[in-house]
Amino acid sequence: MSKVVEISPTTRHEGHSKLVLKVNDEGIIERGDWLSITPVRGIEKLAIGKTMEQVPKIASRVCGICPIAHTLAATEAMEASIGVEIPEDAKLLRYILQCANRMHSHAIHNILTLPDMYIPGTDTKINPFTKEEPVRSVALRIQRLREIGQTIGEMVGGEAIHPSNPRVGGMYMNITPRAKAKIYDLAKEARVLAQDQMEFMIAILRNYQNRDFAEVGGTEVPIPKDLGYHNQGYMATDPVYGSSSLDENPTWYPERFTEVRPWDWYMGEMEVSEADPNYPIGGTTPVGTKTWPQMQACTGVPLYDGQPVEVGPRARLVQFKNYDEKGAIGLQIARQMEYPETAYGIINALDALNTSGDVVADYIPQGDGSLGWAANEAPRGTDVHMAQVRDGRVEYFSMLVPTTWNFPTCSRALEGAPWRLAEVIMRAYDPCVSCATHMLVVDEDKRIVTQKLIQ
Amino acid sequence: MDVLGNYKSVISARSADKDIQKKAQDGGIVTTLFAYALEEGIIDGAIVAGPSDEPWKPKPMVVTTKEELLAAAGTRYTISPNLQLIKEATRSYGLDRVGIVGTPCQVQATRKCQLYPIGMRDVDDKIALVLGIYCMENLSYQALEAIVEDHCNQKMESVKKMDIGKGKFTVYTERGAVSQMPLKYIHKYVQPGCHVCLDYVANLADISTGSVGSPDGWSTVFVRSNKGNAVWDGAMAAGLFETKDMADVKPGLDLVKKLATEKITKNQKHVDERKSFGLKSDGTPKALRNPYETP
Ligand SMILES: Cc1cc2nc3c(=O)[nH]c(=O)nc-3n(C[C@H](O)[C@H](O)[C@H](O)COP(=O)(O)OP(=O)(O)OC[C@H]3O[C@@H](n4cnc5c(N)ncnc54)[C@H](O)[C@@H]3O)c2cc1C
Ligand code: SF4
Repeated sequence: MSKVVEISPTTRHEGHSKLVLKVNDEGIIERGDWLSITPVRGIEKLAIGKTMEQVPKIASRVCGICPIAHTLAATEAMEASIGVEIPEDAKLLRYILQCANRMHSHAIHNILTLPDMYIPGTDTKINPFTKEEPVRSVALRIQRLREIGQTIGEMVGGEAIHPSNPRVGGMYMNITPRAKAKIYDLAKEARVLAQDQMEFMIAILRNYQNRDFAEVGGTEVPIPKDLGYHNQGYMATDPVYGSSSLDENPTWYPERFTEVRPWDWYMGEMEVSEADPNYPIGGTTPVGTKTWPQMQACTGVPLYDGQPVEVGPRARLVQFKNYDEKGAIGLQIARQMEYPETAYGIINALDALNTSGDVVADYIPQGDGSLGWAANEAPRGTDVHMAQVRDGRVEYFSMLVPTTWNFPTCSRALEGAPWRLAEVIMRAYDPCVSCATHMLVVDEDKRIVTQKLIQ
Repeated sequence: MDVLGNYKSVISARSADKDIQKKAQDGGIVTTLFAYALEEGIIDGAIVAGPSDEPWKPKPMVVTTKEELLAAAGTRYTISPNLQLIKEATRSYGLDRVGIVGTPCQVQATRKCQLYPIGMRDVDDKIALVLGIYCMENLSYQALEAIVEDHCNQKMESVKKMDIGKGKFTVYTERGAVSQMPLKYIHKYVQPGCHVCLDYVANLADISTGSVGSPDGWSTVFVRSNKGNAVWDGAMAAGLFETKDMADVKPGLDLVKKLATEKITKNQKHVDERKSFGLKSDGTPKALRNPYETP
């Protein structure tokens, strides 16, 4: 007889979500639904009629951890719709901004991950807030990486959270030679720290893989070797930056995308029949509580070739570097492997940057309603925005953000794991639930979108 | 309230640098101090009122060299929104130690964004030297044009220097002409916002300076904060200024105090009048907002 356990809210990730888990007598997940319960804010609908300059600034506010992704994807979707090619130096500044944000974002996720992990050779879990060594030095290194990422983001992007510098047609400002020198210094410092942090994290993650059990709320939970395995595909558009419909050879294919309602995907109404008051901290949902994932999920379910796909660091490494490690820890390791390029990417782009170069296109068309899209490889994966601009105003806007893609995939990946490790699997995706909760896509809209895309 | 604010010392001074003396409004205090602070690494850039495409219309600018400082020297009697660049200076300009010059209200804004940084992330700790210039009132650009072109009957582009002092607005042209307007006519041109201003000598600056109190070509300098003191001492030790004891110069500190008192008294009255500016239907007064009080 299977039972229903619910963890609500889930913790140590961005936003508000829950896990509804059907488990067998051994507490192994038979079917799991991980869903957003963050209120829908409806950015896509309120964008209609606003100016193409304004919408990316609003879209940025979808999320404060990866605002860079939404700003750049939205701005570039507008640029793709109106058909404007931005100057090379503007592209380089955006690339630096992208790398700086990824550095900061991966580092902050380390803080969220570490409390699940153990100090190697011990049964002591890592508390990133302790003043004790060796953890303290690691926490300080993480903070320095974040500080560097945010400082560089601030200089090239105008602001680290909700960058002000990007605009339709390029950037408002180039940087001064002094700022360039400062960014070099910071990136060179980060290059060393990022390498050390990557090696540290991989050692910690490998140690977890080699463990037989993890302790959760006083219970010893066996760690399966296939923790978080799934058979869904991967989707990524670029190792670092992204792609858009202006590219000669775009790497995302709108015609392969469809979206279904949560109704068609998630489980129906159920009653919680198992609970653990000791699950840290505050226990799981009490027995007898009604839960209804189909109705409660606040995101549409995007599919690629009719299937959920995984996006994010591993997807990028699978597509572009032949990476092949599966499971939750494999995904975590892939994320760490992206560290070095965040610093090298900045240094290489700086080498190419001309601080006297123009950063705004000479002529910015106002748009004739053509559909354009842009994909940004956000820290958490492919963030696709689609837009139609006419006479400078947005007629249609849609955001397909990374965590939305990962919700159904991660739900599949929960199967076969002890329910007390479901959050460990979920955290491997570095969920950004505010990002994911943008708008429900109803059937008619979907049809219109796909038709227009194929034309 | 002490109308001159807190200060450690007050000196009459002028720059020992002849190039600066030629370009500066008064004693060249601002230009000399920024040049020194740049040289010493106390600041790595300064926000000043730089030249723009239109004659006598200032444009806020981040400068990093003495040449640029010289190009921005002198007073423009019109609004230069120097605070516009306070955040950007720490962004695309990449500055770590920002110098800024401004009128008392701009110095207040700088301090406020240090203590209450609303949308001013990472700015507070990068403000390294705040120089204030005394200010009785300011003018819009159109007002300045009306004064220069109508009252003084000179073309803006031929003007070499403008000065307020001894009850006159004085315009000096490149070709040597001098025209004046009695200051009593200035009232209708003044920025209305200046009528609620209760600070004459930039009380919140590290160092503040103006012409009043000292002879022509000299400045009256208040050294206020610990930082201001260290910078001033350094510049003195480097021999950058000639100084006179304030007690020995005419018209001296008394005049500064007199003008400060007049400004504050007049404007405080204006602030108070706003409390009963309007009338509600029940006959009680309806106030205009008072930024110095919490509603
Ligand atoms: C609107 C206004 C009213 C003033 N009223 C008085 C007064 O009533 N009594 C008095 O003693 N002094 C007054 N001053 C100050 C005086 O005119 C000189 O600016 C001051 O003495 C500094 O001279 P200096 O030779 O040391 O500076 P300089 O070396 O000439 O440098 C002056 C600096 O001020 C900056 N600056 C110029 N115009 C502006 C502006 N509009 N806003 C912000 N920064 C600017 C310049 O960029 C330059 O860096 C006023 C100044 C202004 C701008
Ligand atoms: S009078 Fe006051 S408000 Fe007006 S410009 Fe001068 S300092 Fe600013």
